[in-house]
Amino acid sequence: MDKCRRTSRTRVAAAVSAVSALGLIVSCGGSDSGGTGGGKKDGTVTITMGLFGVMGFKETGLLDTYMKEHPNVVIKADVAGDEQTYYTALQTHLAAGSGLKDIQGIEIGRAKELSDTQQDKFVDLAGVAGTDHFLPWKQSQVTTADKKVIGLGTDIGPMAVCYRKDLFEQAGLPTDREEVAELWEGDWSKYVDAGKRFKQNSKADKVAFMDTSSGLFNAMIYGNSQQFYDKEGELIYATNPAVKDAWKLASEAATSGLTAKLRQFQPGWDPGLANGTFATAVCPAWMLAHISEKAGPANKGKWDVAKAPKGANWGGSFLGVMEKSPVKKEAQELVAWLTAPEQQAYLFKEIGNFPSSQTALGLPEVVDAKSDYFSGAPIGKIFGAAAQEIPDEQVLGRKDGTIKDIFSQGLTLIEAQNKSPEQAWKTTDKRIGKAVG
Amino acid sequence: MTTDSIPVRAADAPPETVRMKRGATPSGARRRRLFAHPRAGRQHHAGPLAYILLGIAALFSLFPLYWTMVAASTDNTRVTQTPPPFLPGPHLLENLGKAWQDAALGKAMLNSLIVAGVIALSTVLFATLAGFAFAKLRFKGRNILLMLVIGTMLVPPQLGVVPLFMMMTELGLGQKLPAVIFPTLVSAVGVFFMRQYLSEALPDELVEAGRVDGAHSLRIFWSIVLPIARPPMAVLFMITFVHAWNDFFWPFIVLDMSNPTVPVALTQLSAGYVRDQSLIMAGALLGTLPLLAMFIIFGRQIVGGIMQGAVKG
Amino acid sequence: MAISTSTPSDGAPGTAPSAGTGTGGDGQRRSTLLHRLDVRGAPYAFVAPFFVVFAAFSFYPLIYTSWISLHRVELSTLNLMEWVGFDNYTALWDDDRFWNALLNTITIGVLSTVPQLLMALGLAHLLNYRLRGSTFFRVAALTPYATSVGAAALVFTMLFERDFGMINWMLSLFGVENIDWENNKWAAQTAISSIVIWRWTGYNALLYLAAMQAIPRDRYEAAAIDGASRWQQFLMVTVPGIRSTIVFTIVLSTIGATQLFGEPLIFGQGPNGITGGADNQYQTLGLLLYEEGWKNYQMGRAATVAWAMFLLLIVVFVVQRVVQRVAARKA
Repeated sequence: MDKCRRTSRTRVAAAVSAVSALGLIVSCGGSDSGGTGGGKKDGTVTITMGLFGVMGFKETGLLDTYMKEHPNVVIKADVAGDEQTYYTALQTHLAAGSGLKDIQGIEIGRAKELSDTQQDKFVDLAGVAGTDHFLPWKQSQVTTADKKVIGLGTDIGPMAVCYRKDLFEQAGLPTDREEVAELWEGDWSKYVDAGKRFKQNSKADKVAFMDTSSGLFNAMIYGNSQQFYDKEGELIYATNPAVKDAWKLASEAATSGLTAKLRQFQPGWDPGLANGTFATAVCPAWMLAHISEKAGPANKGKWDVAKAPKGANWGGSFLGVMEKSPVKKEAQELVAWLTAPEQQAYLFKEIGNFPSSQTALGLPEVVDAKSDYFSGAPIGKIFGAAAQEIPDEQVLGRKDGTIKDIFSQGLTLIEAQNKSPEQAWKTTDKRIGKAVG
Repeated sequence: MTTDSIPVRAADAPPETVRMKRGATPSGARRRRLFAHPRAGRQHHAGPLAYILLGIAALFSLFPLYWTMVAASTDNTRVTQTPPPFLPGPHLLENLGKAWQDAALGKAMLNSLIVAGVIALSTVLFATLAGFAFAKLRFKGRNILLMLVIGTMLVPPQLGVVPLFMMMTELGLGQKLPAVIFPTLVSAVGVFFMRQYLSEALPDELVEAGRVDGAHSLRIFWSIVLPIARPPMAVLFMITFVHAWNDFFWPFIVLDMSNPTVPVALTQLSAGYVRDQSLIMAGALLGTLPLLAMFIIFGRQIVGGIMQGAVKG
Repeated sequence: MAISTSTPSDGAPGTAPSAGTGTGGDGQRRSTLLHRLDVRGAPYAFVAPFFVVFAAFSFYPLIYTSWISLHRVELSTLNLMEWVGFDNYTALWDDDRFWNALLNTITIGVLSTVPQLLMALGLAHLLNYRLRGSTFFRVAALTPYATSVGAAALVFTMLFERDFGMINWMLSLFGVENIDWENNKWAAQTAISSIVIWRWTGYNALLYLAAMQAIPRDRYEAAAIDGASRWQQFLMVTVPGIRSTIVFTIVLSTIGATQLFGEPLIFGQGPNGITGGADNQYQTLGLLLYEEGWKNYQMGRAATVAWAMFLLLIVVFVVQRVVQRVAARKA
């Protein structure tokens, strides 16, 4: 009995020490509180990055290249898949002043909010050497009222229409990309008309003309310089004719059964690409890599890219450096390098992220780029031309990203839940009120 | 039966009490059969129909897990075709490897292990301490305090997430593991569970004898209470561990993707830019494996533990 | 919950007279003092950790929630609190989303709890037979309990996929058209409920089984002598015999149901998860709380939803107590 007690006592002692040991691990694990994780030690510079989605720096090995060229630099990049999650975390980090990285990615839909409310947390990048090569409107999106620049542009999202040649053919539509572009030249409503023709003549069962009406909606609104906000920061979505027209046409497409009722970048969308359940998708340049990967080698050569009715910019991001960072200078150099023309051109070639650098747009590897997967389409020319059509002034608003999501959901209401466009608009309106309140 | 000294009216008593009555024997000796009642249950042999129905139930329980494995072992094209695959494909290891990297599951598992381990250990320790005090020590306000413990069961901690989040952010604990651990260091159910066990399994004479020997309370706790309390402590540990490992709401709010627990890391697989379905399933499989292994090894003990004490967070 | 707090017989060890008698001396006196301090103080020290942690991380936040709910607080500027009185409450009262979420929480709660407990009862009855391989069946029934919400919801989301999911494929064998599980309100709520049912049925069955095994066999024998069939025995002996456990599981499942969060969040995938579908068709109160706080970044409004959830719980408990009392009076 006594012996048994003693063993158990040692065990308890062991358990107690285990608790305290674990507690120690835990508290040590949080040793970087307040900092950004980066720093200098023994001649090595560590730079941390917080990224989201497929910005490509890590995925294409650009960061490795940089580290090879700068042996004293170690880069640690965290990539969050979902921008919404990423941004919520960034907000709390900004509020707490901890958990931030040296470099943070900024999505275009958040650019305004950050430059309005958090500008003092970001380093002013206005004077950084060799950064005068961007498209003028790109940098103006992250320039504050007092001319501070909180980020450098990575990519932009000029739009085209990706389509399946084989599906067009069986529906009696042209398949050549020039002729296809002519089908809807200059007017998005012609794109919907083509869809109606497709629907009437298609022999393929269960193949829709487009994946979702929200792609069409986004393409239309981003062709204008104002979407949800005006320059004074007032909400104008309810009266903005650009938004109204886009809503009308997108809901027309939805109610006439032209869509596959899929949500872009959600799981049902991929198999739709692979199995060919829709014939077109409005595609910003960065979407091409995704389509080719998910549609798979079996569909190589079936897809092609045609010019969109009107130029527009969907998406694009920035890289900012945090004021708190102990390695500000090194981080700025890294950001400048990552957004330099050569690197932008490289990213375009690798994953299709279209350069926001004017200089890069003139580089031969961009201008002459062709896509094997998309039937040899001259994507450099197509997206380059689209980029020229993007309005020179683009007004951003604080809750752009959130409002865009709410509109997508509103269109889903019509598309998949048989709500009338009027009902869906009402709901959307109410939700925006809550989201900005 | 030696539990008659405690008056319990079976019909009105809560299940814990009833079960504890059977679960405890004063000597603390381990019983062979955890849940056999000499005069109860197990009246009939099962007929073929019962086996068929149980087989169906087992199938429903296990099939989703089996299918997770199947989906994780195919590639993306196969898994999105109809009819869906029913047999494993050749890509299991490859997908597991990719998912391991993509969702940062290695870090997530270590985090979960730390979180669940610390919570389970501290819950067991504090519950046994408090349970012993409530069961065997006399002090002013004991009954009121015990009622208070029971009352706290009705307050789900999730309701305080907003201030808790603000607190943790202010303390600089946002996105850190202590933020997940602190609020769940103790459990009211655990305290009550240990109290019920000890008030029946621990003879007063033993404690008194300890006092006569001049032992102080902590010594009595260590050398007399703990040996006897080991079986329920093990049960409480396992169940708390499972709950802490699977806890979602609060970790999801306070942690982020750079420092997640397993359930939080898994959400990353489904949200955002699409990954392969087979990779999502591989991640889900990986995230489930540690507990699954625990259930395969300790299944019998866990089943016994749950039947002994209704502990559910 | 009626939880008995029967205490051990009176001569509890704590009151036992201090042992060391006989020779006096200073050391002796000091140790007696220490001993007395130990006997008096130790119990409080032993229960203190529980109360300290509870007060700091449960009670204080609960109270503070109500204070926050009277303010406008944004996530990015947590230290700026602007007093708004009851505005958040009136806004919540007028908000369709709140009533919708409340209703969804209730319907999903019913859809998940009722079948779950009924099936658990049946399963427990089966497990209560004399079985070969009973351990296997018990462990198998409990396996889903080992699966985290995250993993379970991911798998079920895929099984319920519209275009290539296993469930739609099976239904198509019976000529059923593909169901849009996510967009159709009742389909979505059913699918989400099925995740809950899958995870918790086995667990509840084991609780019932434990209670069933405590029913004295002579009650069955008496019923058999009275000519009761097996089914009648089940209704008249088994079910009343485990009544208190049934009440207990109802209480626990109800608490769980009011806080449903992970299952619908993951089921919706991405932005639809937080809003509980494009039409909020499966948004629960837990999701609404999250949307207000961590998507709209309005912590004051999130705190208001938390309070509403708390009130809901209280109402449920009051109703449950009343029903129980009325039932007891009738019996």
